[in-house]
Amino acid sequence: MGQRPSIAYVIDPRFPGGTSSAIAQELRVTSRMADVTVHAVASQMFSGTDIAPQLKRTLADLGLNVIWDRPAIAADMVVIHNPTFLKFQKTWNARIIARQVVVVTHENFLRPGRIEAFDVASCLGLIDRCAFALRKTIAPISAYNRRTVSDWLAQNPVCQWNVLARDWFNICDFPILAPNRSPRDRRGRHSRPGFEKFPALEDMDRCFPDHAARNVILGGDTYLETGPQRPHWEIHSFRAIEIADYFAMIDFMVYFTAPTWRESFGRVLAEAIAAGKVVISDAGTASAFGQAVVAAKPSEVDAIIGHFVAHPAEYRRHVLKAQARLADFSAQAFGKMLQEVLSAPVGVAA
Amino acid sequence: MILVEAGECSERSHDAKVLFALQLARRGYAVAIDDKGIPQALDRNQKFEIAPLLVEIPPEALTHLVIIGAENIDNETLLRLRDHALGPKVKIFCVGRFADLQALVGSRAKIAYALGREPQMLDLTDAEIKPLMDGTVAPLMAVGSSERPPSAVPQLFVYLPPEMLDEPMTLPILGAMDQLAGFRLNLIVTGKSKEQIRATRHEYLSVFSYTEISLTALADMADIVVFFGDSVPGEKMAALALDMMRSSKVVIDGTTRAALVSRGAPALRGPQDLAALPNYLDQTVLVNCAEIGRQAGISAWLKNHAIERLEQRLGLTPPDGPGPAKRKAKTLFVPTNGNGLGHAQRCTLIAAAMENPSDCAFAAFKSCVSLVASKGFAALPLVQRSDEHPEEFANDLLNYLRLQRSLRRGDRLVFDGGYVFDSIYRTIMEKGLEAYWIRRGLWQAGQMSPVSLDRQKAFRRVIVPDEAFGELNAAPGWESNVFHVGPIVQQLPVKSRGPARLKDRLRRHLNVEFDELVVTMLGGGVAADRSAQLQTLCNLFERRASCLHLILVWPGSKVHPGVYAWKNSRAVQTKNALALCQAADLVISAAGYNSFHEILFHGIPAIFVPQMAAYMDDQERRALAASERGLSGTILASEMLLLEREVAAFLDGGKAAEIRRNLKKAELPQPGNRAAAQLIEGLCDG
Repeated sequence: MGQRPSIAYVIDPRFPGGTSSAIAQELRVTSRMADVTVHAVASQMFSGTDIAPQLKRTLADLGLNVIWDRPAIAADMVVIHNPTFLKFQKTWNARIIARQVVVVTHENFLRPGRIEAFDVASCLGLIDRCAFALRKTIAPISAYNRRTVSDWLAQNPVCQWNVLARDWFNICDFPILAPNRSPRDRRGRHSRPGFEKFPALEDMDRCFPDHAARNVILGGDTYLETGPQRPHWEIHSFRAIEIADYFAMIDFMVYFTAPTWRESFGRVLAEAIAAGKVVISDAGTASAFGQAVVAAKPSEVDAIIGHFVAHPAEYRRHVLKAQARLADFSAQAFGKMLQEVLSAPVGVAA
Repeated sequence: MILVEAGECSERSHDAKVLFALQLARRGYAVAIDDKGIPQALDRNQKFEIAPLLVEIPPEALTHLVIIGAENIDNETLLRLRDHALGPKVKIFCVGRFADLQALVGSRAKIAYALGREPQMLDLTDAEIKPLMDGTVAPLMAVGSSERPPSAVPQLFVYLPPEMLDEPMTLPILGAMDQLAGFRLNLIVTGKSKEQIRATRHEYLSVFSYTEISLTALADMADIVVFFGDSVPGEKMAALALDMMRSSKVVIDGTTRAALVSRGAPALRGPQDLAALPNYLDQTVLVNCAEIGRQAGISAWLKNHAIERLEQRLGLTPPDGPGPAKRKAKTLFVPTNGNGLGHAQRCTLIAAAMENPSDCAFAAFKSCVSLVASKGFAALPLVQRSDEHPEEFANDLLNYLRLQRSLRRGDRLVFDGGYVFDSIYRTIMEKGLEAYWIRRGLWQAGQMSPVSLDRQKAFRRVIVPDEAFGELNAAPGWESNVFHVGPIVQQLPVKSRGPARLKDRLRRHLNVEFDELVVTMLGGGVAADRSAQLQTLCNLFERRASCLHLILVWPGSKVHPGVYAWKNSRAVQTKNALALCQAADLVISAAGYNSFHEILFHGIPAIFVPQMAAYMDDQERRALAASERGLSGTILASEMLLLEREVAAFLDGGKAAEIRRNLKKAELPQPGNRAAAQLIEGLCDG
């Protein structure tokens, strides 16, 4: 392609969490490399028209307008972020014409135990029926996410989609902060308040015991409502405090989810690494970040934290190494990945 | 044990949850509902319905968690699910009608996140087999009712929507139907409609609000059910229809939308017009009841709605153990009201007159337990109402649970009291008990509660122990199940030397010398404060030399401390008041049914001081009936100044002896103890 390619984003801009954050970061890169348009779909997943604040800021910064529910969308490449926005729909009145359509799978197709996470076939089917393109590609966002996509496709051979060879990862351009020179047993976790984001209570108790100097739980709305009495937990509802203030309270990010759910990427982990914290999570979630996240079981958390508190130098070494690993998820790395996708030959109809 | 949950925390879901849990319980499973999931604003009937399901669940006893209505899961439910510490062996099932795959996987995911475990999904949606209703929370499965043989005269239950009662001819038609001999008419309506009917001249109709008793009881009682209105009015009525069909009973679809028949259910398409119903029943249904039931029983649609299908998918097998240990059917006497001593005493007399008194037991308030025990009967203690309870019927809820556990189908329940409590009414209906109501007469105007009269329908027979004097007995009414018997009265043998010996014993025991013995029994003090009257009497007898004045109270009763200040008066706690009365030269007594009749039937000279309260029997009429015949004296509460003169007349003026002579000659009716017992035993038709 000799001229600037055109990229049309097709999104539901009302996703409250990681999807909108990832798109916001991504737009800053893609708008430098291509002519970008943003098409918003008012899917049945959300009500109202409130665009996620992080996305709204980016769109304003870039001078991009959101085009709502345009029936016909045409571009060299159409990027559809998080197809789950179509999961409650029987029809989708869009017409997409593109050289290639890329569906970025922000949510895992399968949950642990190979259980379908949403009606994937329906969502992909709606896109497939609406899109006329030389190639239709699924773009996983992490190794774990990729595995759920491949496993699902293996279980559903009727769905003939390509899978992008490289991960369409979340850009993690968070400000890098120096690790604490004298870390203490100050633990915390932050997430949206959904049930999937929290492990069983007994694991929460293991991760946030009363002997810790601090246990800060940001996004613990459900515990505030009716939850167990844990006076040693400092529970804040989602977005109740600034994220920087939260990070100032902790030295360790201890993040486990419900065993029936897994992060597809784990932006919160990257965010904590960038903030200079040692991050501890289950092996599956940690795998997206290699050695940068300490893989553990909840029963091992105490010992790990005890070790780092006793060895501040090791704490510092670990954090710095982990922060270096974040370069793999930089805007620059994303730009390189996108360039490869854009320049790859697209000659065979999907 | 199976814990039943519903996806949404709402009153509708709660009702569905209870409905389904009770269906499982009828199949023999141990079932429970989490008390934390109960909506705040449950009414009285809902609380009675759910009470047996609220049990402690030992973690190791829980085998299944079944979430119904799982297509709609709300956050409140998820929060509670998260708090269940389910053992790894607990099987989790989500039952629902899922609109599509996304609805199913979405619900599954939400529950899996909250529980941290994967549930098994059970989608009841089946394009081939339509449910009886759309949008139900409960799975709506046919369980069937008990294997009661069809009634000799079929019990017809007609569901009427509120709007039908606004039509001017509805009640007159029902009034006319109520006179037909081919069936017994019962109505099922809303609570408000029931009130509406009660306020008309058709208040005699047998009416059930559809929350006042359980579905099981309704399905057991009914032989034919007819539905009018637009459609099936809710899940409970739909379940009733299913249970009736399953039991090969007749279900008639008179709905304007053919709500049952259009779904494929084996119901008869009946007339939509109430006026046409009697002839339809007469010409089409009653002559073919057995065949209609048989056809329903073999319906393929019904087989697809049988609870066994759901059980199979849930991996449940109804317990086929030995069940409750076999025991002889028993007759449980339940005397109630106030301290209940009079009711309890009467019941013990009837129980003692039964062929096999050893098959009789009691459920009684604490105040009566020792009386009952002293007569040789076991007593299950009931809880009395207290202002300390959070609700006025809290004690009755507990009594309901105790009665439920104590009784089973085939037992008899004999109630003696004025107000038929929910616990008693529900237990009779839900256990299908043969029930009898000992209902003393002489009520004061307006005293009999309309609720109690309405609940008379639960009793096979109402046994009215007559008063000694004809004018005190109500004229027999047109009710076919009300039977009159002679006065229920304790009868002690009259021993010629007995009184003298008893007096000697009293002299020795109390270490007093006396020539005349006066016994006072003014009552337990529930109805009125009798302390002033007692003081008057004590004062009076203090001034009589050589008089022993015994104030008799039941063991455990409170005695006013003032009476202990008198030399001639002694408070005596005794279970044997009648023997002391027999020895007395004069008895001063309230005119309660038992003491009044015991005094008359044992020829004891007495002055009656009637105890009056709005909620009591008319003691004044009773006392005056005796004194006007020269069989006693009567001093009303307003005439206490006359008491001294009357006592002097009895003890000094020869009136006591005259009364004794009159009583000896008096023609009193035969006691009805045995007749009442025979009516309960079914040995006579009254």
